[in-house]
Amino acid sequence: MREIKPHSLGAFLLLGIVLAYALILIIAPLIAIIQGALAKGLEPILDTLSDPNVRHALEITFYMAAGATLLNTVFGVIIAWVLERQQFHGRRFLNWLVDIPFVFSPVIGGYTLIVLFGREGLIDSPFPIVFALPGILLAKTFVSLPFVPREVAPVLRSLPISSEEAAYTLGANRWTTFRRIVLPGIWVGVVYGVVLTLARALGEFGAVAVVGGGVEGVTETATMFVHRALLDRNREGAYTIALLLGILAILLLLIMTWLQRRMNLYRERTAHVHTTE
Amino acid sequence: MAENSLIAAAPHQPVSAPHSRASTLSVGAWGLRSAAALYLLLLVGVPILVVIGKGISPGLAVLWDSVSNPVAVSAIWLTVSTALVMTVINTIFGTLTAYVLVRYRFPGRSVFNVIIDLPFAIPTLVTGVMLVLLYGPQSVIGSFVEDATGQRIIFETPGIVLALLFISYPFVIRSIQPVLVGLNVAQEEAAVTLGASSWETFRRVIFPAIRPAVISGALLSFARALGEFGSIIIVAGNIPMRSQTATTYIYTQVEAGDMPAASGISLVLIAIALVATIMVDVLLRKRRSDARD
Amino acid sequence: MSIQLNNISKRYSRDFGLENLSLTVEQGELFVLLGASGSGKSTILRLIAGLLEVDSGQILLNDRDVTRLPPQKRDTGFVFQNYSLFAHLTVAQNIEFGLKIRKTERQERQRRIDELLKMIGLQGYRDRLPHQLSGGQQQRVALARALAPNPSVLLLDEPFGALDVKIRAQLRQNLRQIQQEYHVTTILVTHDQEEAFELADRIGVIDHGELLEIGTPTELYRRPRQHFTATFLGTANLLPARRNGTQVYVNETTIPALPNTEHLSGQPVDVLFRPEAVELALSPDDLHGYVLGAGVIEQIAFAGVFERVSVRLKEHNLQALISYEQATAFDLQPGKLVFVGVKDYHLLPQAVT
Repeated sequence: MREIKPHSLGAFLLLGIVLAYALILIIAPLIAIIQGALAKGLEPILDTLSDPNVRHALEITFYMAAGATLLNTVFGVIIAWVLERQQFHGRRFLNWLVDIPFVFSPVIGGYTLIVLFGREGLIDSPFPIVFALPGILLAKTFVSLPFVPREVAPVLRSLPISSEEAAYTLGANRWTTFRRIVLPGIWVGVVYGVVLTLARALGEFGAVAVVGGGVEGVTETATMFVHRALLDRNREGAYTIALLLGILAILLLLIMTWLQRRMNLYRERTAHVHTTE
Repeated sequence: MAENSLIAAAPHQPVSAPHSRASTLSVGAWGLRSAAALYLLLLVGVPILVVIGKGISPGLAVLWDSVSNPVAVSAIWLTVSTALVMTVINTIFGTLTAYVLVRYRFPGRSVFNVIIDLPFAIPTLVTGVMLVLLYGPQSVIGSFVEDATGQRIIFETPGIVLALLFISYPFVIRSIQPVLVGLNVAQEEAAVTLGASSWETFRRVIFPAIRPAVISGALLSFARALGEFGSIIIVAGNIPMRSQTATTYIYTQVEAGDMPAASGISLVLIAIALVATIMVDVLLRKRRSDARD
Repeated sequence: MSIQLNNISKRYSRDFGLENLSLTVEQGELFVLLGASGSGKSTILRLIAGLLEVDSGQILLNDRDVTRLPPQKRDTGFVFQNYSLFAHLTVAQNIEFGLKIRKTERQERQRRIDELLKMIGLQGYRDRLPHQLSGGQQQRVALARALAPNPSVLLLDEPFGALDVKIRAQLRQNLRQIQQEYHVTTILVTHDQEEAFELADRIGVIDHGELLEIGTPTELYRRPRQHFTATFLGTANLLPARRNGTQVYVNETTIPALPNTEHLSGQPVDVLFRPEAVELALSPDDLHGYVLGAGVIEQIAFAGVFERVSVRLKEHNLQALISYEQATAFDLQPGKLVFVGVKDYHLLPQAVT
């Protein structure tokens, strides 16, 4: 579509409506929470952050999210590769599966875990899964699964396969080719996917609320802490951690922006390679 | 994100070069395929099977009972109606936003582009907290509206719609944006030289081209909204028959240990969501094959 | 023998495939596989390289059976049509890639890079990135990269197809020089008949998965054995005829039969002659070659060196190349009556439809 500078009244009106909508819907709540968290000053914030239970909650949130991200990154890249570079029956089905966690309610995800691994669950496991850390890990992995494959696949698709074939004919095996030729081409997509995965895994609540157990100091994640704090009328505590999670999300977003800019630069560069004179 | 994904997040789509697929199949390649398939089948396939199995196994009569009791019906109705209202509003504003973002150069445009992804990154729970702070009964806006109209925002339906609007904000926009960016400028220019106004060009040339993306974006935000929990549990009262959605209903039942009650509604919700994704898949495939011709 | 394909079969789409195709390419030869898009020529090349696996058959490179070997182990150099340079590596790094894999010493790698850069004429371009190069330069680097590890076989898949005409001509010359200097057995795949003529020691004509004919450019141009070859390799004038005894009956007249064509007696044949073999004159006595009859000029098109003249002979449309001088001397105009003769011709069995 053609890009222009707005000059007509209609254009300005349209721009105004859209920006106002975004302001009211998205920006205003952000301002509200900054205000809410700082309402009683810095002291309650510092109190909350030094509470060992809170610290522990943040720790396990981070570690479980990191674990989920690691799993989803390794397998996500493999999935993207298999979907883009291989042809086989059932490819379309696998492709469809990848997007399901986007619309699969996390609560139902948690419910599934309980059905499978709970006390009367279908699977007997030697170590506790639900109401324990493994369950939290599984929940976070499930909800953040699609991001890496969905970010890497299109980048992979736009990478000319003849580069890889050239590497093969020059004697490079699959792994070397992946490491030296493919990875440099897709790394921006991978990192972008990783950032999104991490953000989603950190912020997960629904599945974790069902499956996590919520025992403070043991199996309570940051989001579960916020929920409990609200119920306990520990407003400042809740707002503090909520703001912390929000700020973390915004930071990750900023990294995403920087990456996007790099992606576009790379795309421009490689597009040049495709020109004929 | 991708053309073959249900959600497009990156505003610029890479042009895919046509390529052949090497059909030399080695053990390594087969291993990768199995790993990918196993991971997906275990992590995604199994939950789907569990929901379907648990929903159907006690029998259709039990299934019907669990979804036809008044509490459940009210929960489903609240979920679907709020999701529908949100989808309509989100589709309209999402289309406008995508249009404005792609068409107009204005200061702060790149910042705005990033802000659109905010709901993707912010935990839904935090969204709920933010909305309560902004529109809750103790807030300036909340109390003003309650005094003026007697209607509460938070803990009532409007709050739910607001939460849903927030979390699905990016969906329609990111679905449409790449299509708009990739639109052939020549078509537009042809329309303009033939005398079409901005609005007519949009109506006759641009909108038909983005219609599948609009629909798939709408379907996606609808499906997403059905499953929303984190913000709803904060923002809605979770009072049965009044402010309880399907997801909070399921949560309450599971917490109480009443699994059969949860399984019926879970099946219904998942079924709707899966159907929506299948429809989106069909739409996207159609768009891609149209584009090829 | 350097490259040998024995009864190769490969199904590459629902309706098309290669079946029982055999081919031998001699050591040091520049062999061109010529065919239209979709004819299977690229498939053959990729099978030789190992980028595709044969369904059945055998591939031998230098008497070594490579049929089950992956591309890494076949010792072939491959030049793709485009997009194959490693975008994040410099020209030098691209060229030395194969050497690095073979763990060649740094010094030797540098020496080879310099040698190859000189060969392709890009000495100052060592540290450039592919996107800073023109299309022609990229292909030159691709060639250098393929040759760096000294492969025993060089394979080129329409390497100049994406380039401008002038660049193409230049690169063709470069390739010829390099191939003759290195004497590496080469197969080049193209649909451009001009390119095939210029580069090939021998040409293999391929159509719909079938290797129709193999021969030198001259043989295939002058004495093709198949209808497809005749029409694919340049403008062909074809007139249906019958051969009997010592005569060929064509266009209600007879012309003497050429020697060694007795085997075509009794079956329907085509008389093939190229535009440059056509003679036009204002009276039949002025014709030096075999007289075909009278015709009417349909169109004259300026083609630089010659005028392309279409002549209608009864219901047949013939193409002739007439020099500018002659055209003006005879005052050739559309609608004018001329007499058509042919200086040289060839007999082909008629195409079976």
